[in-house]
Amino acid sequence: MTQQELTAYILANYDGKLTLLDTGRAEPMFELKPDDLLEVTRRLRDDPQLKFDFLCNMGGVDTGQRLEVVYSIASTTKHLRMDFKVVLGYENPSIETITEIWPAANWYEREMYELYGIEVKNHPDMRPLLLPEDWNQGFPMRKNWDAPDFIRMPEL
Amino acid sequence: MPELRTEEYQINMGPHHPSTHGVCRLLLTMDGEKVVDAVPYVGYLHRSIEKICENRTYAMCIPILDRFEYVTAMSCNYVFSLAAEKLGQVEVPERAEYLRVIMLELNRIASHLIFFGTTAMDLGALTPFLYGLRERELIMDLFEMTCGQRLTYNYIRVGGVSRDIPPEFVPKCREAIKIIASKLPDYEGILNENPIWLARMKGIGHTDPQQAIAWGVSGPVLRASGVKYDLRRDDPYSIYPKFDFDVAVCWNGDNYDRYLVRIEEIRQSLKIVSQALDGLPDGDIRAKVKAKFKPPAGEVYVRIENSRGEMGVYLVSDGSEKPLRVKTRGGSYNQLQFLPEIVRGRGYLIADIVAIFATFDVIMPEVDR
Amino acid sequence: MGVIKKLPVYTETIPGGALVVTNLEAVLNFGRAKSLWYLLFGTACCAIELMCTGASRYDFDRLGMIFRASPRQADLIIAAGTITKKMAPRLRKLYDQMSEPRYVIAMGGCTIKGGPFYYDSYSVEKGIDHIVPVDIYIPGCPPRPESLMEGCLHLQEIIRKQKLSDWQEK
Repeated sequence: MTQQELTAYILANYDGKLTLLDTGRAEPMFELKPDDLLEVTRRLRDDPQLKFDFLCNMGGVDTGQRLEVVYSIASTTKHLRMDFKVVLGYENPSIETITEIWPAANWYEREMYELYGIEVKNHPDMRPLLLPEDWNQGFPMRKNWDAPDFIRMPEL
Repeated sequence: MPELRTEEYQINMGPHHPSTHGVCRLLLTMDGEKVVDAVPYVGYLHRSIEKICENRTYAMCIPILDRFEYVTAMSCNYVFSLAAEKLGQVEVPERAEYLRVIMLELNRIASHLIFFGTTAMDLGALTPFLYGLRERELIMDLFEMTCGQRLTYNYIRVGGVSRDIPPEFVPKCREAIKIIASKLPDYEGILNENPIWLARMKGIGHTDPQQAIAWGVSGPVLRASGVKYDLRRDDPYSIYPKFDFDVAVCWNGDNYDRYLVRIEEIRQSLKIVSQALDGLPDGDIRAKVKAKFKPPAGEVYVRIENSRGEMGVYLVSDGSEKPLRVKTRGGSYNQLQFLPEIVRGRGYLIADIVAIFATFDVIMPEVDR
Repeated sequence: MGVIKKLPVYTETIPGGALVVTNLEAVLNFGRAKSLWYLLFGTACCAIELMCTGASRYDFDRLGMIFRASPRQADLIIAAGTITKKMAPRLRKLYDQMSEPRYVIAMGGCTIKGGPFYYDSYSVEKGIDHIVPVDIYIPGCPPRPESLMEGCLHLQEIIRKQKLSDWQEK
């Protein structure tokens, strides 16, 4: 299967759970609802035509209006790659963990929680990863975050 | 005879420890001399590179991302430029692509020479350290001739490269390739059959290929366990399909195989560089890109094969001159996550942990960013 | 003897050898300056240049400087690399564990005032001179090995001019 056939295959076989976003890019970006996350990702991993066994990247994005979690996955045997995202709001954002499907997501989810505040349910080991142990100044990667010693670069 | 009462205790290894892998802390749970568990604590070099890039233009982001993985700074520049070019649909001229490949592969050789030197130094041998860094100086001279810097280059920009190579670059590069190729048998002669090296590296730190893929491990660590996955072949970018090179694979997945894979990769990179020098065309070195580069709104994830695994950048643009989100992904992040899995319950000693950590070739700024 | 030429001495030949009179400060300072053992404290990019300075082409050993792994055996910290807020207490602890006389070289822009991470960074300690007292600042990002060696030579000059009373307990 090539990358072009991948989009058609996904839209045909995944009962509308993965919707294609029109971003005009060469590579497709799908959107997923938070409740369908575990089920759809398990199917993506176990599907014999796709076999997405490698989680490349997972991160949070703050667009200014909403929070998103973006996943990038790849298949080492079938030479395929795809991205999908889950859209969340600013009040109590929370998502299920996918460490039982791809164990690589462990540290990515810990980092996402402490930098963006997106809560991850049922994570095996939710401790802070990157920030100092006594950090109490909020979630730094959000767009509206500020602190007394945070110096922004002036416009040139 | 009274029963011996034993209990497990914890030893702290780091964040400042004498191997030059950066600042990583490992909390080892010990049962006598044997390590039961090793938990990494990271974040001692978290410099908030991603937050900084959100307030810089695309041209200003490139020197900041140089520091994301400074041992192979050309790859960091390249992966960000690739992402910006994909979003902005910029066509890169052919001479620039050849120059980029030459610089990327020279940087891969330099990184593997550092691996060779520091791994041997961690295990107590000081001579390979001096050998490896002596050959690396030849490559640093080439980089200094081209872009003026020895470590953080700021050379590969959006649309091409920043300046052309001087006329003495090609003969000096060919000479450097010949010298390095002639010294590789020396390196193998010191270490490959050495009984101390074999005793400390063979059979230690075995990685299972399916588990490694599930934990997102890539690069030489994955190839040493038997999985032939190299992004220059499997998901090609730039002009790599034009070159003839082999992908180095080993089958046992222990420390010794990870070392052998990297030495073979130096040889293959030397082959690619000499093929690229032979086929270097004339032409422009940079496409016409505005100083305040503004790609249309969108998002893209690109990935390349770095000397430590898969390096990727996820770039989100909102149409303005500054990126909205730059998420960087380095190979060492997943390898450090994977370390407890191969250490737990195998009965290794602390010296084995040092050897495994050294052959994983983890660089801390890739983990902490 | 080369050492005698570099120290302020008064020599007189006596039967069986020579009589050499000098002052203790000069001898001690000479010994300390020409044999500085530095603690390997490399966190980031400047650590690679520190390694290169200690390697074949720019040899540190010809100045008498060898790297040591433990702060108890070192008398110089070359703080090479960005110090973050999480790492700052550890730097202070290492400095406190060194025995006097001890010196600090701040290598690279990040240790002087934060370097390229001064703006827009929430976790970088902007400069190390409010954590440990610094003797020499070496600018650069990263500084060339020649700059680092010049900084060490300046430090040797400073040590040669120190007085014994500087390190006595008050």
